Amino acid sequence: MSYLEYNVQSTPTGPRKILYLNWPLALLLCTVACVGFLQLYSVAGGSLYPWAEPQMKRFALGLTAMMMVAMVPIWFWRNMSVVAYLLSVILLIGVELMGIEGKGAQRWIDLGVIRLQPSELMKITLIMLLAAYYDWLPARRTSHPFWVLVPVMIILFPTYLVLRQPDLGTSILLLAAGGGMMFLAGVHWAYFAAVIASGVGLVSAVFESRGTDWQLIKDYQFRRIDTFLDPASDPLGAGYHITQSKIALGSGGWTGRGFMQGTQSRLNFLPEKHTDFIFTTLAEEFGFIGGISLLALYVLIIVFCIHTALATRDRYSSLITLGVAITFFLFFSVNMSMVMGLAPVVGVPLPMVSYGGSAMLVLMVAFGLVQSAHIHRPRGRRR
Amino acid sequence: MIRTPLRPLARILSARDRGENPDAIERENLRRRHEEMQDKSRARAEGRLLVLGLVFFCAFSAIGARMGVVSVSEAEEPEANAIGTPIAAQRGDIVDRHGRILATNFETHSLYAQPPQMVDPVASAKGLKAIFPDLDEERLIRDFTGKRKFVWIKKRISPEQKQAVHDIGDPGLLFGPREMRLYPNGTLAAHVLGGASFGKEGVNAAEVIGVAGVEKQFDGYLRDPANAGQPLELSLDLTVQAAAERVLAGGMKIMNARGAASILMDVHTGEVISMVSLPNFDPNDRPAPPTSGFDPSVSPLFNRAVQGLYELGSTFKIFAVAQAMNLGLVTPETIIDTRGPIRWGKFRISDFHNYGNELSVTKIIEKSSNIGTARLAQQIGAERQKQFLASLGFFEPTPFEVVESAGAQPLLPKNWSELSTMTISYGHGLSASPLHLAAAYATVANGGHYVSPTILKKEGVQHGPQVMSEQASRDSRIMLRRVVTEGTASLAEVPGYAVAGKTGTADKPKPRGGYYEDKVIATFASMFPANDPKYVLIVTLDEPSENSGSEPRRTAGWTAVPVAAEMIARVAPLLGLRPEIEPRVQPSVTLASN
Repeated sequence: MSYLEYNVQSTPTGPRKILYLNWPLALLLCTVACVGFLQLYSVAGGSLYPWAEPQMKRFALGLTAMMMVAMVPIWFWRNMSVVAYLLSVILLIGVELMGIEGKGAQRWIDLGVIRLQPSELMKITLIMLLAAYYDWLPARRTSHPFWVLVPVMIILFPTYLVLRQPDLGTSILLLAAGGGMMFLAGVHWAYFAAVIASGVGLVSAVFESRGTDWQLIKDYQFRRIDTFLDPASDPLGAGYHITQSKIALGSGGWTGRGFMQGTQSRLNFLPEKHTDFIFTTLAEEFGFIGGISLLALYVLIIVFCIHTALATRDRYSSLITLGVAITFFLFFSVNMSMVMGLAPVVGVPLPMVSYGGSAMLVLMVAFGLVQSAHIHRPRGRRR
Repeated sequence: MIRTPLRPLARILSARDRGENPDAIERENLRRRHEEMQDKSRARAEGRLLVLGLVFFCAFSAIGARMGVVSVSEAEEPEANAIGTPIAAQRGDIVDRHGRILATNFETHSLYAQPPQMVDPVASAKGLKAIFPDLDEERLIRDFTGKRKFVWIKKRISPEQKQAVHDIGDPGLLFGPREMRLYPNGTLAAHVLGGASFGKEGVNAAEVIGVAGVEKQFDGYLRDPANAGQPLELSLDLTVQAAAERVLAGGMKIMNARGAASILMDVHTGEVISMVSLPNFDPNDRPAPPTSGFDPSVSPLFNRAVQGLYELGSTFKIFAVAQAMNLGLVTPETIIDTRGPIRWGKFRISDFHNYGNELSVTKIIEKSSNIGTARLAQQIGAERQKQFLASLGFFEPTPFEVVESAGAQPLLPKNWSELSTMTISYGHGLSASPLHLAAAYATVANGGHYVSPTILKKEGVQHGPQVMSEQASRDSRIMLRRVVTEGTASLAEVPGYAVAGKTGTADKPKPRGGYYEDKVIATFASMFPANDPKYVLIVTLDEPSENSGSEPRRTAGWTAVPVAAEMIARVAPLLGLRPEIEPRVQPSVTLASN
């Protein structure tokens, strides 16, 4: 029993819950989604088809899902955390096995309107489980080696499964979000320092050793790393995306070329223009002002999440809210960095804007948890 | 860590002396300790949150700063401006086997401005607006009078527009040559040609790169300046291609099919004379590729002839028969037990009609008996069958020089059981492209040499490995001729041109296993002239339904065959084949039919 459940009587019940929703957050999400619709409309050359209209349907579905999740008390979700995590691990293993049988490309579960990727589901259930874990664990045990090892296992197992798919972007996201949760929960900083130091050391040692006598890994493994960092699936040679998107951003200037006026993206120079690289079309059409405005919207969403986290005194609620904020932050910062050439190209969509149902639905459910935490936060005075 | 005791003896004793309850002291201390701990963990949590906030802030600033830097930088225009890195212009032409143009370049101009050199920016902007109504005048004036040194105005303009801009007379308005890829025949041979788009763009030129088809396959060759003036010669015949597309489009419409494909191939050289896939597209205005959620085969970009992997049905039967004859297991007259149905576990192999208890090998092909073919396959055995089909090219993507063909890996059963052996003998359980089928039929037609299909013009006969004996090949051809004269493909009789071939109607598999009952792939694999085949023609219709009768008819004999016959009637004269009366006496037929 958490502190929260003693205060059930002070939380709103029934349809009145809607009044207690974190409305600014919901409105922000809708605004960002609308930016997405506009861009998809523009990328398709001023047509709802083939991207904008399906995306709208998916957003409507996501909004409904968010509301439904928000109406259910947050302690229910806490109690379901383990189940949710195990379920998504099973699904991950399932697609792994089915994927082999069906000659790859079977990473989806069909839900009719959209198809869900278990690896997307994992992003949220991992956060749920970690939040529940640290809610359950007495604070003084947080940094005990054994109790640190448990969440590390919880994070690494699905990360490994996702990495095997192979989906580098999602596994980085899982790893970073999980690490962020552990950091927020108060695990001693020395652990993080050790992991970061050894990671940096290992990577630099491996790369230092290239071409010397004591080379740590084989040549073909290096080549594999090269293609991993620099996807050869790019049909026009490495870095084509980046050059093109930099040109698009540059030609946008301060105010952009105006809605539907982008040439770089409309003339099919960018192969991923409606998914991962949609930010380039925005930057080209609305310039620096447009880009920074979208960034500001994202920042506001994060700020409202942090506000919700600070307003609640329930540990699970605050941890899950911050976890969602971290995941969201990772999504857009990795995507924007990638588009602007600050990071290597890994497949991470621009949240709520890129075309794609899975990521959007999962994010909306995650924000549903945030809303639930907000609605059901304890309202009694502090004892 | 020193903790204050919960029940300090001194205070308890004094409290007792005063007659108060000492438990109150313990409760008070306990509460204090809890609060202390809570405060500590809260302070730590807030510290952590602060660190996280700092990380967020740094990332936001970095991204924002980067955005600013990239935005204010002038649009990159380096490649072509820099001396010494000219973009290779003059992409080679693509021509058909008679030198007729399939793809060429078209000189247009781009229009840009260098504001520092402009005489009258406002008047120029007004003039430009008059020529190009879609330009924003305000914006042009702002660009021309601002600090920018270089402004793109239009990336492609027509000669008339160029003259009009020239007449404005402003020295700051400049033109750059810009090559454009042009496909003068529109949709003709669209899937083979593929299409091109721009790569690097500079002031003086824009790089044209192939994105699909031969344009992509031979991108390096077409761009190589060393080959300047030397066009890429394809094996296609433009006239035949046009006729084939016409006939196939009409046939697809009459048969209410979703899609269609045809391949006409020279059996001796492997040259593909025409290749059609419908629906098609215009490579001058190549549509966007379908998004991930859609089935790629719905897109007009999908080349059914090369990329479409279908179970090709009874057209496969001739391979089992040819192999059995090649191995000496049977002769055309051997009688095979065709009592059915064959039960194999819960699986049943049966025939479309009951053809009686026994049939000769010739009759098995003529009537298209599944049971008979399965019996032959049992005699051949899985290992030898695999070897034979592999030598006909059914295990690998075709070496066809269109970039899409590398992805068309035939779908083979995971476990080649005896049941698979039997079903594959009549074309179920193995999916291959129509092009695979064309190559295999060419082997049957030309006397047993495997020929790999090619899109390039070749000289002389291809001498591939001998896959079956001359005799087996000849006997197979005679049987295929009888399919047209007495069997399932009677509509394939074309006056003056003796056609031999085999029909195949395969139920379409459902995406989740099982087969549709009312959706089929109808294929007619044919060769002509039958007594000495020069060409192989494959016609495949996707979900045809011929509705003139009381019930819709979907079998290949009613759908693919008449389309193929019409196509042969139209293209055979174009190919230079003279109509001839079939030799009245074919010696081996006399032997077989008695």
